[in-house]
Amino acid sequence: MNEAGSNLQGETLFGPDPGSDPLGWYRAPAGGDIFTAARPDMAAQWHAVASGLASAGQGNLSQVQSYLDRNVEDLGLAFRVTGDDRERPWPLAPMPILIGADEWQGIEAGLIQRAEIYESLLADIYGDQQTIANGHLPAALASGSVNFARRMVGLQPPGGYHLRVYAVDLVRDPAGDWRVLSDRARLPIGVGYALENRLALARSTGSLLASIGTRRLAEFFEALRFGIAADCTRSEPRIGLLTPGRFNQSYPEQAHLARHLGFSLVEGRDLTVRDGRLYVRTIAGLKRIDGLWRWINTADIDPLAFDQHSQIGVAGLIDACRHGDLSIANWPGAGVVESRAMAAFLPRLAQVLTGGPLILPNVATWWCGQQAEREHALANFDRLVFASSFRNDVAGLSGADNRLGSDLNPEERAALVEGMRRRPMDYVAQEMVETSTTPAVINGRFEPRPFVLRAFLARGPDGRWVAMPGGFGRVSSQPNLRSALMGAEDISADVCIVEGQDSARTVDPPALSAPVVRRAAGLLPSQAADNLFWLGRYGERAQQTARVVRTLLANADMPGDPASQSDAETTRRRLSQLLVNWGAAPAGKKQRSRQVAASALTAKDLNGSIPALIGRLQEIALLLRDRLTRDSWRAIHRLPPPIDVRDTESMSEACDMIVGVSAAMTHLLSDNLGRSAAWRFFDMGIALERGSLMLQSAQAIVPGSASAEDLSALLEMIDGTALYRSRYLTIPFIAPVLDMALLDPSEPRGLAYQVQRILNHLSQLPVLREDGMSEEPHRIARLLDARIAGLDADELDGPTISSLRDDLGALNAAIARRYFLQPDLPVTRDGSALLG
Amino acid sequence: MSETVTYRVKHTSTVSYAAEIAQARFNLRLRPYRWPGQVILDDSLTVDPTPALMTEADGPYLVNTTRLQFTQPLHELTVTSRFHVAITQPPPPQSPLTISQLREQAVLSRDLTVRSPAPYLFASRIAQLDPDIADWAAPMLQPDCNILDAAYALNHAVHEKIKYVSGSSNSRTSPADAFRAGRGVCQDQSHVMIAALRSHAIPAAYVSGYLNTLPPPGEEKLVGADAMHAWVAVWCGEGTGWVAFDPTNDRLADTDHVTIGMGRDFADVSPIDGVFIGNTIQKLKYAVDVRRVDEDETEEAGAQAPAPS
Repeated sequence: MNEAGSNLQGETLFGPDPGSDPLGWYRAPAGGDIFTAARPDMAAQWHAVASGLASAGQGNLSQVQSYLDRNVEDLGLAFRVTGDDRERPWPLAPMPILIGADEWQGIEAGLIQRAEIYESLLADIYGDQQTIANGHLPAALASGSVNFARRMVGLQPPGGYHLRVYAVDLVRDPAGDWRVLSDRARLPIGVGYALENRLALARSTGSLLASIGTRRLAEFFEALRFGIAADCTRSEPRIGLLTPGRFNQSYPEQAHLARHLGFSLVEGRDLTVRDGRLYVRTIAGLKRIDGLWRWINTADIDPLAFDQHSQIGVAGLIDACRHGDLSIANWPGAGVVESRAMAAFLPRLAQVLTGGPLILPNVATWWCGQQAEREHALANFDRLVFASSFRNDVAGLSGADNRLGSDLNPEERAALVEGMRRRPMDYVAQEMVETSTTPAVINGRFEPRPFVLRAFLARGPDGRWVAMPGGFGRVSSQPNLRSALMGAEDISADVCIVEGQDSARTVDPPALSAPVVRRAAGLLPSQAADNLFWLGRYGERAQQTARVVRTLLANADMPGDPASQSDAETTRRRLSQLLVNWGAAPAGKKQRSRQVAASALTAKDLNGSIPALIGRLQEIALLLRDRLTRDSWRAIHRLPPPIDVRDTESMSEACDMIVGVSAAMTHLLSDNLGRSAAWRFFDMGIALERGSLMLQSAQAIVPGSASAEDLSALLEMIDGTALYRSRYLTIPFIAPVLDMALLDPSEPRGLAYQVQRILNHLSQLPVLREDGMSEEPHRIARLLDARIAGLDADELDGPTISSLRDDLGALNAAIARRYFLQPDLPVTRDGSALLG
Repeated sequence: MSETVTYRVKHTSTVSYAAEIAQARFNLRLRPYRWPGQVILDDSLTVDPTPALMTEADGPYLVNTTRLQFTQPLHELTVTSRFHVAITQPPPPQSPLTISQLREQAVLSRDLTVRSPAPYLFASRIAQLDPDIADWAAPMLQPDCNILDAAYALNHAVHEKIKYVSGSSNSRTSPADAFRAGRGVCQDQSHVMIAALRSHAIPAAYVSGYLNTLPPPGEEKLVGADAMHAWVAVWCGEGTGWVAFDPTNDRLADTDHVTIGMGRDFADVSPIDGVFIGNTIQKLKYAVDVRRVDEDETEEAGAQAPAPS
């Protein structure tokens, strides 16, 4: 037991043992805490989890936090801030929020009712608009939302559902009633984090969650996946998760979900619409897409239908919707129901559309577009929170999401009142909600903190709603904050729905039929192939650069007679020049070998340096998140070692480590990717880079004449020293060394081997031509292979090596043309001013 | 008895690209829309080269959209729109409503369709609201002002505030930028007026169309007649409906104005937009000819389009 632990034990003299019952010391504000208000049977569960956590951390709760952080990091799902280079781990609190199954049953019924109200409302807004004509909802409530898409009016979703996924933010008020803060019909952000948080917590705590009867999340994700598939017209549909791309804040979440659900992660430029159907560009040509889970806003989804300047959408996507063969979750335009002002009309809409009262009430909301409501808001100014009806920037709120009336100074108050006078429909007033607290671990002990719960619903294949048993908990980092003001510093918590002793299951698991067994994932989007190819190339280049630096360092300290000293000097110069050619060291100045090595190992600003290459590697890995396993992901992120540039030994060790780690990474990736097309592109990238670097090395080191030192260096780079000695029993001579480096097909680091490796991959990849003729990359690779086979080592002069480089370059270009998205693909929009 | 004028309109645009573009798809919004007081006698749209696919769609705002799809690479595109239209002088608009009464009607409207006020109450992609424009317009748009009086006053004020300077802006210029610069073309004058009205919860729409090219003898040519023109429709209450103001020429739109379409701003009625593959500079040439049929019986003989300005 550590010291902290024994101190804690000492306190048992004065109360409950925090090591075994850390919640025994918990003091929450009177009422309004979810734990202190729990019934005895649920309270026992809270205690059980708290002690379980304490014992997992050997009595130290901070210890659990570090296990958890490590698991979150390992899972690779980190919160990425737009534009940030580094990803920031999403802080996950160790203590989950526990809700009893019987209490959850009420919440779940309320959530499902809301989803059904919104579905009916969407069908009406995008249909005959009777709720509007009958005065249940002012037209401005629809047209005021930027998510209202007039173009979708009259366009029915193929399965009949506008909503398939839906999220709700809930708070528990001090009386223990749950209330809705907001609805999310566009993007259920957090659904991936909820899953990830559960995985991380379960890993960190062993069987703890299972022991208290926590409901599993799996069923919800099955409903989600099969639900989206159910609307597709083909029996084995191909479904894509449409992402705005890696700069989007929730990109890691999207990649994780795509992987978890078995959807293809696609960007707009991966897709194309032809004859009213949606296709993904793959290495095997265009492949039909039957369904999309979109994570981009309707306004950006189709530049021909909405904003023509959108760079992330798919031109013609709405035509594909009109055609009736494409299912999209959620249907474009669904976000119109998200407006804050909608809350003011929901009780009435519940009656009109479902015939009953609203089960889960909203935070009380007054829409200032109506005179009586506006007067109420102004009369109760100090007690109310003012916010934008449609979540956009409006006058008088100073850019804030919402302001409490009593917090405004006289000037701000005047500005808000004037804003409301000019455009009353832009404002809502809402009551202030006090929120319950939940026990959170702060500095190693439990403290009460306010929390918000984001719940998620998905429609199963039978059309019925399934609520995720749990959700994404947001716990405020500050005590006693008003719910409306919870902010960016929050931490997240898992939410566990715990079976009570006598609670029955409320929802039957959706009926799922087993999928047809399939082999090989089959679909490799061109863009993913491109990224895999470059992942291979950058990995190989990092490794080869490290090899050259290592050889340079070895040559730098070589003692010897004056003659061989000058040869060694030439070798050092040639190796240094090679690193300069590769952009790993600055050009121009005359530098000592050690300076060149230091640049290659540490100069982030040189795009051929090892840190820069590793940076590129990590960037590309980010684009392949849905395809990389956890181990590969970790290997890629473990690369940069600390280096002391004054110490040759330290630099050499770093090179060894980079060579070793990068080899391990390559190995892991090859293992993970199996013998799939994905692996072939990754491996072709390695082979192409290796072949190209080998030619460049030969060119730099053997221009005309080469000393034994030069040739030894070249042998070192291909790991060929031992083999050469066993084969030739003499010092290196030009022809045999070049033969090994370039012509010998059995030398795994040599050029000939790389060309055969590429040829082999190409012959296994799908063919587009139906006339039986070879495709361009095959033809070039075959020619190059034959050319190498026909060459004699004595013919390998400068011009020959140079023309081999050209051939390899042509092969690279042909592969890019045939398999990858065309480099000029970024679409240029044409908006012209014809106006006077 | 109100006056009816018949026009023959011919509008030719040629877009040429420095390098070939591929897989081009365009939206053309050039065919006139049904409009109160405006009868379309015939219309035709010719496209050269002939597209692989040409489809017609209505909307989503008050606009006809022609979708073109090309499968062959394209160097140059020529679009010619020809139509005859008869325009009847609208009766002088009348509305008893104050701005605050009008606002109440618009905000609580039970109609979401495309001619109703609610769709034109809010900021749109180009017509973003701007606090400076809102404050500038506030004295003219007081709650107890009559809506028509206020609209006339604002129309005049925009005409004075934003000087018409040909070529001083582009299709993406925001109302805020035009307002600060104090100059622009018809599109900017319209966007500023729209932003001012909507800042005070008065529904306002963007109208695109043409002006009579040749003025009656002794009168000056209207500004904006050499190209497409734009003006503003203001919603003046349930009884009155939409009233069209032309801030560029400081007057109501009348029989000199041929309407093509109405939307929230330029983006909804833009004459041409689209996507294609290719990174290239484009050049645009156009010729607009709008003339009264009764004045020009020998139409084909002397018809000479004005040079692009």
